[in-house]
Amino acid sequence: MSADPLDALRLPIVPVEPRSEFAEALLRRLQSADQPQRRTTPTIRYFVQDLEAAVAFYRQHLGFEEEMRPSPVFAMLYRGDLRLLLSVPGTHPGGHALADGTLPSPGGWNRILIQTADLDATIASLRRSGVHFRDDRPRGLGVRQVLLEDPSGNPIELFEPAAGYHDRAL
Amino acid sequence: MDPNLVSVRYMVDDVDAALAFYMTHLGFKPLSNAAPAFADITRGNLRLLLSGRTSSAGRPMPDGRQPGPGGWNRIHLIVSDIGSEVERLRGEGVKFRNDVVKGPGGSQVLIEDPSGNPIELFQPAGQ
Repeated sequence: MSADPLDALRLPIVPVEPRSEFAEALLRRLQSADQPQRRTTPTIRYFVQDLEAAVAFYRQHLGFEEEMRPSPVFAMLYRGDLRLLLSVPGTHPGGHALADGTLPSPGGWNRILIQTADLDATIASLRRSGVHFRDDRPRGLGVRQVLLEDPSGNPIELFEPAAGYHDRAL
Repeated sequence: MDPNLVSVRYMVDDVDAALAFYMTHLGFKPLSNAAPAFADITRGNLRLLLSGRTSSAGRPMPDGRQPGPGGWNRIHLIVSDIGSEVERLRGEGVKFRNDVVKGPGGSQVLIEDPSGNPIELFQPAGQ
């Protein structure tokens, strides 16, 4: 009998010792799938002056995708498990003016964190694309971080986790 | 730590006071505590980093600007009954930045942590 031509494609079966953290992570995921209310999407709202420029920035430079843009003053973006709401401040509906007329504004220091495997390479690539850094000197103990800005001046933190960062117990 | 956690950093004046606030009023759970410099807490798969002035994130920028709390960018927490949440939080002495506002997508209200950082509570329209 001639050899089965598919034999070359068959991979050897290698016994793998089960790792408890894999099983635990899988279990958590399965449990949360049954209880979607326990796993709501983390959501952050940023204020931007120019919605078009902001959506382009987050898509081009940081890997966000557009979920919806139902009006010229609001967009919903997502990146992995993060949902980012972009609102244009003003007196229009959805402009988030306070009762005393105070308007929200971009900026401040509160920010989303985005993980990168190679911080130095990411900084270099973003610099070449003309992205503005508020602080491009990596700092931090264990975790190295820098701050960049979107076109409205909102901060975004890029970080590179140290070895063992994700092994911390919950 | 769950790699699917989404991380947001808030600057705070007092890490211990911030920890107490988020755990008492908003149901966050502690993850790590290096107060007075830093602590982090979780709520679902949101991880909130609370950074004090002595943390690495609290150091001044190259141009001399000093990071601090406040501003308008905020975490957005979905609630199913904003009226009862407002009543509960007012009863607990939490500070509000505004009253409930109805927008195109739903109703929202802004509360503040002890350092003056905003937190948005949002009830989607039709709920």
